Amino acid sequence: MKTRILGVVALIAVIGATIDGLLLVPADLHQGDAQRVMYVHVASAWLAYASFGVTALAGLGYLWRRDLRLDAVALAGAEIGVMFTAFAIWGGMMWGRPVWGVFWQWEDPRLTTTALLLALYVGYLLLRRLTDDPARRAARAAVVGLIAAVDIPIVHFSVIWWRGLHQGPTFIDPAKLLDPSAPPLFVLALLAMLGAFTLVWVYLMIRRYQLARLEWQIEEDTRLGRVNAARRAASAGSAVAPAAAEEPAR
Amino acid sequence: MSDAAFVFAGYGVILGGLGLYAVLLVRRLRAARDASLRIRGEADAPPIDVAR
Repeated sequence: MKTRILGVVALIAVIGATIDGLLLVPADLHQGDAQRVMYVHVASAWLAYASFGVTALAGLGYLWRRDLRLDAVALAGAEIGVMFTAFAIWGGMMWGRPVWGVFWQWEDPRLTTTALLLALYVGYLLLRRLTDDPARRAARAAVVGLIAAVDIPIVHFSVIWWRGLHQGPTFIDPAKLLDPSAPPLFVLALLAMLGAFTLVWVYLMIRRYQLARLEWQIEEDTRLGRVNAARRAASAGSAVAPAAAEEPAR
Repeated sequence: MSDAAFVFAGYGVILGGLGLYAVLLVRRLRAARDASLRIRGEADAPPIDVAR
Protein backbone atom coordinates (compact mmCIF):
# COMPACT_ATOMS: atom_id res chain seq x y z
CA MET A 1 0.00 0.00 0.00
CA LYS A 2 2.83 2.39 0.92
CA THR A 3 4.57 1.59 -2.38
CA ARG A 4 1.36 2.33 -4.26
CA ILE A 5 1.09 5.71 -2.51
CA LEU A 6 4.73 6.37 -3.43
CA GLY A 7 3.88 5.57 -7.06
CA VAL A 8 0.99 8.06 -7.07
CA VAL A 9 3.15 10.77 -5.42
CA ALA A 10 5.94 10.10 -7.97
CA LEU A 11 3.47 10.40 -10.86
CA ILE A 12 2.15 13.73 -9.55
CA ALA A 13 5.73 14.98 -9.03
CA VAL A 14 6.72 14.06 -12.61
CA ILE A 15 3.63 15.79 -14.02
CA GLY A 16 4.43 18.92 -11.96
CA ALA A 17 8.12 18.96 -12.92
CA THR A 18 7.24 18.42 -16.59
CA ILE A 19 4.80 21.34 -16.58
CA ASP A 20 7.50 23.45 -14.92
CA GLY A 21 10.20 22.39 -17.40
CA LEU A 22 8.05 22.71 -20.52
CA LEU A 23 5.76 25.66 -19.77
CA LEU A 24 6.83 27.73 -16.76
CA VAL A 25 10.61 28.08 -17.11
CA PRO A 26 11.62 30.50 -19.90
CA ALA A 27 13.61 29.33 -22.92
CA ASP A 28 17.38 29.74 -22.77
CA LEU A 29 18.76 32.86 -24.46
CA HIS A 30 21.29 30.90 -26.53
CA GLN A 31 19.93 27.35 -26.72
CA GLY A 32 16.25 28.26 -27.04
CA ASP A 33 13.64 25.61 -26.22
CA ALA A 34 16.17 22.79 -26.75
CA GLN A 35 17.55 23.56 -23.30
CA ARG A 36 14.34 22.13 -21.77
CA VAL A 37 15.51 18.63 -22.70
CA MET A 38 18.33 19.08 -20.17
CA TYR A 39 15.93 18.58 -17.25
CA VAL A 40 15.03 15.02 -18.23
CA HIS A 41 18.47 14.27 -19.71
CA VAL A 42 20.48 15.19 -16.60
CA ALA A 43 17.97 13.56 -14.23
CA SER A 44 18.12 10.33 -16.26
CA ALA A 45 21.93 10.38 -16.28
CA TRP A 46 22.16 10.85 -12.51
CA LEU A 47 19.71 8.05 -11.82
CA ALA A 48 21.67 5.79 -14.17
CA TYR A 49 24.75 6.45 -12.01
CA ALA A 50 22.71 5.82 -8.85
CA SER A 51 21.28 2.56 -10.23
CA PHE A 52 24.66 1.15 -11.24
CA GLY A 53 26.15 2.34 -7.95
CA VAL A 54 23.46 0.36 -6.13
CA THR A 55 24.21 -2.68 -8.34
CA ALA A 56 27.91 -2.48 -7.49
CA LEU A 57 27.32 -2.03 -3.74
CA ALA A 58 24.70 -4.79 -3.61
CA GLY A 59 27.05 -7.07 -5.57
CA LEU A 60 29.84 -6.35 -3.13
CA GLY A 61 27.42 -7.05 -0.28
CA TYR A 62 26.44 -10.34 -1.91
CA LEU A 63 30.06 -11.48 -2.24
CA TRP A 64 30.52 -10.71 1.45
CA ARG A 65 27.25 -12.02 2.94
CA ARG A 66 26.03 -14.47 0.22
CA ASP A 67 22.49 -13.19 0.73
CA LEU A 68 20.34 -13.58 -2.40
CA ARG A 69 18.22 -10.59 -1.41
CA LEU A 70 21.25 -8.42 -2.20
CA ASP A 71 21.43 -10.06 -5.63
CA ALA A 72 17.79 -9.04 -6.19
CA VAL A 73 18.73 -5.44 -5.32
CA ALA A 74 21.67 -5.62 -7.76
CA LEU A 75 19.42 -6.92 -10.53
CA ALA A 76 16.88 -4.15 -9.91
CA GLY A 77 19.63 -1.53 -10.13
CA ALA A 78 21.07 -2.96 -13.36
CA GLU A 79 17.77 -3.24 -15.22
CA ILE A 80 16.55 0.21 -14.16
CA GLY A 81 20.01 1.67 -14.78
CA VAL A 82 20.02 0.36 -18.35
CA MET A 83 16.67 2.07 -18.91
CA PHE A 84 17.85 5.40 -17.46
CA THR A 85 21.11 5.24 -19.43
CA ALA A 86 19.13 4.72 -22.64
CA PHE A 87 16.94 7.70 -21.68
CA ALA A 88 20.01 9.85 -20.93
CA ILE A 89 21.48 9.00 -24.34
CA TRP A 90 18.18 9.69 -26.08
CA GLY A 91 17.73 13.02 -24.25
CA GLY A 92 21.31 13.99 -25.09
CA MET A 93 20.69 13.25 -28.76
CA MET A 94 17.48 15.31 -28.79
CA TRP A 95 19.39 18.20 -27.22
CA GLY A 96 22.58 17.70 -29.28
CA ARG A 97 20.99 17.88 -32.72
CA PRO A 98 19.58 21.43 -32.40
CA VAL A 99 22.48 22.76 -30.25
CA TRP A 100 25.58 20.93 -31.61
CA GLY A 101 24.19 20.15 -35.05
CA VAL A 102 24.74 16.39 -34.60
CA PHE A 103 22.90 13.62 -32.78
CA TRP A 104 26.06 11.76 -31.86
CA GLN A 105 29.82 11.98 -32.11
CA TRP A 106 32.00 8.96 -31.36
CA GLU A 107 35.05 11.16 -30.73
CA ASP A 108 33.37 12.67 -27.66
CA PRO A 109 34.59 10.89 -24.49
CA ARG A 110 31.36 11.46 -22.51
CA LEU A 111 29.18 10.02 -25.26
CA THR A 112 31.44 7.06 -25.97
CA THR A 113 31.97 6.09 -22.32
CA THR A 114 28.21 6.36 -21.74
CA ALA A 115 27.56 4.03 -24.68
CA LEU A 116 30.14 1.67 -23.15
CA LEU A 117 28.33 1.88 -19.79
CA LEU A 118 25.07 0.87 -21.49
CA ALA A 119 26.78 -2.04 -23.26
CA LEU A 120 28.43 -3.23 -20.02
CA TYR A 121 25.15 -3.42 -18.11
CA VAL A 122 23.24 -4.96 -21.02
CA GLY A 123 26.02 -7.58 -20.88
CA TYR A 124 25.47 -7.88 -17.12
CA LEU A 125 21.77 -8.65 -17.70
CA LEU A 126 22.59 -11.17 -20.44
CA LEU A 127 25.19 -12.85 -18.24
CA ARG A 128 22.54 -13.49 -15.61
CA ARG A 129 20.67 -15.68 -18.12
CA LEU A 130 23.59 -18.06 -18.60
CA THR A 131 22.95 -20.19 -15.54
CA ASP A 132 19.94 -21.36 -13.51
CA ASP A 133 21.94 -21.80 -10.32
CA PRO A 134 20.98 -18.75 -8.20
CA ALA A 135 24.21 -18.68 -6.16
CA ARG A 136 26.50 -19.03 -9.17
CA ARG A 137 24.48 -16.44 -11.12
CA ALA A 138 24.61 -13.97 -8.24
CA ALA A 139 28.38 -14.40 -7.73
CA ARG A 140 29.20 -13.98 -11.43
CA ALA A 141 26.87 -10.97 -11.74
CA ALA A 142 28.37 -9.36 -8.63
CA VAL A 143 31.89 -9.56 -10.09
CA VAL A 144 30.77 -8.18 -13.47
CA GLY A 145 28.74 -5.45 -11.74
CA LEU A 146 31.80 -4.36 -9.77
CA ILE A 147 34.04 -4.33 -12.85
CA ALA A 148 31.44 -2.40 -14.90
CA ALA A 149 31.09 0.19 -12.11
CA VAL A 150 34.64 1.36 -12.87
CA ASP A 151 33.13 3.10 -15.91
CA ILE A 152 30.82 5.30 -13.76
CA PRO A 153 33.53 7.77 -12.57
CA ILE A 154 35.13 7.61 -16.03
CA VAL A 155 31.82 8.73 -17.58
CA HIS A 156 31.35 11.46 -15.00
CA PHE A 157 34.86 12.91 -15.08
CA SER A 158 35.40 12.39 -18.83
CA VAL A 159 34.31 15.99 -19.48
CA ILE A 160 37.04 17.22 -17.12
CA TRP A 161 39.79 14.77 -18.12
CA TRP A 162 39.42 15.00 -21.91
CA ARG A 163 38.28 17.49 -24.52
CA GLY A 164 35.07 16.81 -26.43
CA LEU A 165 31.79 18.28 -27.61
CA HIS A 166 30.08 17.74 -24.25
CA GLN A 167 30.26 20.72 -21.90
CA GLY A 168 31.72 20.51 -18.39
CA PRO A 169 29.64 20.15 -15.21
CA THR A 170 27.11 22.94 -14.65
CA PHE A 171 26.71 22.79 -10.90
CA ILE A 172 27.94 19.43 -9.64
CA ASP A 173 31.55 20.56 -9.92
CA PRO A 174 32.50 21.20 -6.24
CA ALA A 175 33.80 24.66 -7.17
CA LYS A 176 30.41 25.56 -8.70
CA LEU A 177 28.18 23.89 -6.12
CA LEU A 178 27.27 27.12 -4.29
CA ASP A 179 27.49 29.30 -7.37
CA PRO A 180 26.07 27.40 -10.36
CA SER A 181 26.67 28.91 -13.77
CA ALA A 182 23.03 28.31 -14.79
CA PRO A 183 20.29 30.79 -13.74
CA PRO A 184 18.45 29.83 -10.50
CA LEU A 185 15.15 29.19 -12.33
CA PHE A 186 16.86 26.59 -14.52
CA VAL A 187 18.61 25.02 -11.54
CA LEU A 188 15.30 24.81 -9.65
CA ALA A 189 13.57 23.20 -12.66
CA LEU A 190 16.42 20.69 -12.89
CA LEU A 191 16.26 19.93 -9.16
CA ALA A 192 12.46 19.52 -9.38
CA MET A 193 12.83 17.02 -12.22
CA LEU A 194 15.66 15.25 -10.40
CA GLY A 195 13.47 14.98 -7.28
CA ALA A 196 10.49 13.69 -9.27
CA PHE A 197 12.59 11.16 -11.18
CA THR A 198 14.19 10.03 -7.92
CA LEU A 199 10.73 9.24 -6.52
CA VAL A 200 9.94 7.25 -9.67
CA TRP A 201 13.31 5.51 -9.35
CA VAL A 202 12.65 4.49 -5.73
CA TYR A 203 9.20 3.18 -6.72
CA LEU A 204 10.59 1.19 -9.66
CA MET A 205 13.49 -0.17 -7.57
CA ILE A 206 11.08 -1.47 -4.93
CA ARG A 207 8.80 -3.08 -7.54
CA ARG A 208 11.73 -4.62 -9.47
CA TYR A 209 13.21 -5.96 -6.24
CA GLN A 210 9.85 -7.54 -5.34
CA LEU A 211 9.68 -9.08 -8.82
CA ALA A 212 13.23 -10.44 -8.57
CA ARG A 213 12.44 -12.06 -5.21
CA LEU A 214 9.26 -13.61 -6.64
CA GLU A 215 11.08 -14.90 -9.73
CA TRP A 216 13.66 -16.53 -7.48
CA GLN A 217 10.88 -18.01 -5.34
CA ILE A 218 9.17 -19.38 -8.47
CA GLU A 219 12.46 -21.03 -9.54
CA GLU A 220 12.76 -22.65 -6.11
CA ASP A 221 9.10 -23.75 -6.02
CA THR A 222 9.36 -25.18 -9.55
CA ARG A 223 12.33 -27.29 -8.44
CA LEU A 224 10.40 -28.40 -5.36
CA GLY A 225 7.39 -29.17 -7.57
CA ARG A 226 9.54 -31.37 -9.84
CA VAL A 227 10.89 -33.28 -6.82
CA ASN A 228 7.37 -33.72 -5.45
CA ALA A 229 6.08 -34.88 -8.86
CA ALA A 230 8.93 -37.40 -9.08
CA ARG A 231 8.04 -38.69 -5.59
CA ARG A 232 4.38 -39.00 -6.57
CA ALA A 233 5.31 -40.87 -9.74
CA ALA A 234 7.59 -43.17 -7.74
CA SER A 235 4.89 -43.90 -5.14
CA ALA A 236 2.31 -44.46 -7.92
CA GLY A 237 4.72 -46.87 -9.62
CA SER A 238 5.34 -48.86 -6.44
CA ALA A 239 1.55 -49.14 -5.86
CA VAL A 240 0.84 -50.30 -9.42
CA ALA A 241 3.65 -52.85 -9.47
CA PRO A 242 2.24 -55.12 -6.68
CA ALA A 243 -1.24 -54.91 -8.28
CA ALA A 244 0.20 -56.10 -11.60
CA ALA A 245 2.03 -58.90 -9.79
CA GLU A 246 -1.26 -60.10 -8.21
CA GLU A 247 -3.05 -60.28 -11.61
CA PRO A 248 -3.17 -63.97 -12.71
CA ALA A 249 -1.28 -64.94 -15.87
CA ARG A 250 -3.51 -65.82 -18.85
CA MET B 1 12.63 19.96 -37.42
CA SER B 2 12.08 22.78 -34.95
CA ASP B 3 13.53 22.86 -31.43
CA ALA B 4 10.06 22.17 -30.04
CA ALA B 5 9.87 18.90 -32.01
CA PHE B 6 13.15 17.73 -30.44
CA VAL B 7 11.87 18.74 -27.00
CA PHE B 8 8.64 16.79 -27.46
CA ALA B 9 10.53 13.81 -28.87
CA GLY B 10 12.88 13.92 -25.86
CA TYR B 11 10.14 14.20 -23.24
CA GLY B 12 7.80 11.84 -25.10
CA VAL B 13 10.23 8.95 -25.31
CA ILE B 14 11.61 9.39 -21.78
CA LEU B 15 8.31 9.94 -19.95
CA GLY B 16 6.48 7.46 -22.18
CA GLY B 17 9.23 4.91 -21.63
CA LEU B 18 9.13 5.40 -17.87
CA GLY B 19 5.36 4.99 -17.83
CA LEU B 20 5.47 1.93 -20.07
CA TYR B 21 8.19 0.30 -17.97
CA ALA B 22 6.23 1.00 -14.77
CA VAL B 23 3.04 -0.51 -16.20
CA LEU B 24 4.84 -3.57 -17.58
CA LEU B 25 6.68 -4.02 -14.27
CA VAL B 26 3.42 -4.00 -12.29
CA ARG B 27 1.90 -6.50 -14.76
CA ARG B 28 4.98 -8.76 -14.54
CA LEU B 29 4.78 -8.58 -10.75
CA ARG B 30 1.09 -9.52 -10.79
CA ALA B 31 1.73 -12.43 -13.17
CA ALA B 32 4.65 -13.62 -11.02
CA ARG B 33 2.48 -13.50 -7.88
CA ASP B 34 -0.19 -15.60 -9.59
CA ALA B 35 2.41 -18.07 -10.89
CA SER B 36 4.02 -18.30 -7.46
CA LEU B 37 0.71 -19.07 -5.77
CA ARG B 38 -0.16 -21.68 -8.43
CA ILE B 39 3.23 -23.41 -8.32
CA ARG B 40 3.37 -23.31 -4.55
CA GLY B 41 -0.08 -24.89 -4.42
CA GLU B 42 1.07 -27.70 -6.71
CA ALA B 43 4.35 -28.18 -4.87
CA ASP B 44 2.66 -28.36 -1.47
CA ALA B 45 -0.01 -30.82 -2.63
CA PRO B 46 0.31 -34.10 -0.73
CA PRO B 47 1.40 -37.18 -2.69
CA ILE B 48 -1.58 -39.02 -4.24
CA ASP B 49 -2.59 -41.98 -2.10
CA VAL B 50 -2.77 -44.59 -4.86
CA ALA B 51 -3.20 -47.50 -2.44
CA ARG B 52 -6.69 -46.32 -1.51
